[in-house]
Amino acid sequence: MKRIILALFILLALSCRRETQRSNEVIASVETKLASDPGDPAWQKLPEYLARLLTQDLVEPRLMNPSTAEVRVRAMTAAREIAFRLEWADPVQDDLPGAGRFADACAIQTPGRIDPNPPDPQMGQEGRSVEISYWRADWQAWVNGRPDDITALFPNASVDRYPFDATPLEKGSAEQLEFARRYAPSAALGNRREGPRENPVEDLIAEGPGTLSPAAKAVSRGKGVFGPEGWSVVIIRPLPDGLAPAVRSQIAFAIWEGSKEEAGARKMRSAWIPLAVKEGK
Amino acid sequence: MPTVYNWQLGRPMEYPYDAAYPRYQFAFVFNINRCIGCQTCTMACRSTWTFSSGQEHMWWNNVETKPYGGYPQFWDSKLLGLLDQANPDGQVWNNIKTDPRLKPYGVFEGKTIFEATHPAEAAPQNRVLGYLPTDREWRSPNIYEDTGTGATWKPGEYGKTAALPEHKIWFFYLQRICNHCTYPACLAACPRQAIYKRQEDGVVLIDQSRCRGYKKCVEACPYKKAMYRPTAKVSEKCVACYPRLEGRDEIITPDGEPIESRCMSACVGKIRLQGLIRKEYDGRWSNDPGNPLHYLIREEQVALPLYPQFGTEPNGFYIPPRWAPRAYLEQMFGPGVEQAIERYVCPSRELLAIMQLFRATRPVIFRYKILQGPKIFEREVTLPSGKKKTLEIFNDTIIGYSKNGREAVRVTVEEPTFERDKQHPNSI
Repeated sequence: MKRIILALFILLALSCRRETQRSNEVIASVETKLASDPGDPAWQKLPEYLARLLTQDLVEPRLMNPSTAEVRVRAMTAAREIAFRLEWADPVQDDLPGAGRFADACAIQTPGRIDPNPPDPQMGQEGRSVEISYWRADWQAWVNGRPDDITALFPNASVDRYPFDATPLEKGSAEQLEFARRYAPSAALGNRREGPRENPVEDLIAEGPGTLSPAAKAVSRGKGVFGPEGWSVVIIRPLPDGLAPAVRSQIAFAIWEGSKEEAGARKMRSAWIPLAVKEGK
Repeated sequence: MPTVYNWQLGRPMEYPYDAAYPRYQFAFVFNINRCIGCQTCTMACRSTWTFSSGQEHMWWNNVETKPYGGYPQFWDSKLLGLLDQANPDGQVWNNIKTDPRLKPYGVFEGKTIFEATHPAEAAPQNRVLGYLPTDREWRSPNIYEDTGTGATWKPGEYGKTAALPEHKIWFFYLQRICNHCTYPACLAACPRQAIYKRQEDGVVLIDQSRCRGYKKCVEACPYKKAMYRPTAKVSEKCVACYPRLEGRDEIITPDGEPIESRCMSACVGKIRLQGLIRKEYDGRWSNDPGNPLHYLIREEQVALPLYPQFGTEPNGFYIPPRWAPRAYLEQMFGPGVEQAIERYVCPSRELLAIMQLFRATRPVIFRYKILQGPKIFEREVTLPSGKKKTLEIFNDTIIGYSKNGREAVRVTVEEPTFERDKQHPNSI
């Protein structure tokens, strides 16, 4: 009897197991709602595109040694938004900020407008912009509840009192944060890289290498989870204008491996990949 | 790659950008012989600029004990090692033929950090030879404080180790801030062109709105004075206290005169003198004989650049310590060391007067005038070369003038003293 039960169980498990469907373009399946969590089972039924990555060896500073070889991509769309789940192998979680450290990161890039002849995949070109949604592991850690300051990273660290922590300013109050901001010149100038963050994704635009700049509005969001096999990151952004079933656009991906000191132009990147929207089954 | 002229190397040099020069250049002279390692400069800078969250490891001004100390640890040994790999025949100077204007120290025949290719295959970047310090290397800014070395010392020589011209057991303090280089490596390496050199004073700054924290400047700066701030996720660096240079502090400089940076103003040991050097359109120093820095660096050549072979044309100059081994000093300051020490040991009348200007006042001194006084002292001194020379000291008065020509300071060679009477030895 036990053997029969075991055989039935194996048969059931085999019938439930789905082979990963591979697609030859990134297909965003039309769904009723988006799965914002990378572990949501809704992702599993979607076709997967395997994006081969290339070294960025076109402009200085170049990356000459390949690191992350490929990124697995699934996509869905609902309510005028589009979501991508990027998964890639990474043995080490690099999410600690530090003078000599680099964070794991990924990004999706779309042309500024749908065009069968898209701009240069390497950050666009003059007058023909690209839109980029950029996710970072250390921003994700902040969103998850671990700030970047030294006492959060090193609980036994001893720090002299910062002027903006002085009484009567209440820690975390608007007055205290405003005071602290005075001593963070980049943040005071509108550079959005500093915490506190509620969103691990930054919206950027570019018209060629070296022109990357923050987008006028923050429109993307996302979430990344590190597991035994590496990172799984969902990035959600508005559906590009005009993208609909029967309309093709393009998308490109980039991965930064923190352990290999990758940042900025030093990254693994893809060429343009066709992006299509299809009604779900 | 464009070519620029580097007077410290005595030759043209490759640099990623075309030459562009400021009207004035922030520059300074540190007299290593006088430093007591009190770190008052370090704390003055710290309490002004780097006391915030994310800056705990950042010391724009630091004083390290040579030869072992370094912030970040072993910064110069590491870069010299890379340069040695790029220069298998050595970092050689040809100082047979010199020219006070164009090649005062002769000609550097090796490759600079802009000319050398990185010995590692698939190097992170090819514009500048450099390396990125680890987190750990930033953590101990004063490691090996007061630790001497005694490679030539032998047991039984105790008490006989401190004889000139070279002590057998020695160390010295090296005071460091950003050199606001004429050809900055940080600027050359930044892929976003977020680093710029100001036209008005040559100060090198990182545009905090443009920086995205790629750390290429940290990697490229041979002096490791660009630093990454982990909370801000951008890099920051010494700003030469530019609001003070601009004379924009209504309280301490109501007349708008440029005043020295905080680290200079706070120096207890009076080792520091800061200035603004007038430059010609082609980058040459203007002939400015009344400027104290011009005299110390270009005329008397008693102050020398720090690691000129790196090729950035640093604007920080040092009077080398007279007791340290010459080979070590020549590696650090170039071939002018022996002459600089000889001139410092037995200073000329003018040099001795100018030495009184160090940390004597807060305004930046643009011009000096010496009023001759009586001779007050004479003795025979032995130069490092073994030659004897008569040192004559005159109680001259030196007057320093600010940018607007106002008298900023007046000091004499002999410090005035007052002797209290016997009834009131301790009264005020």
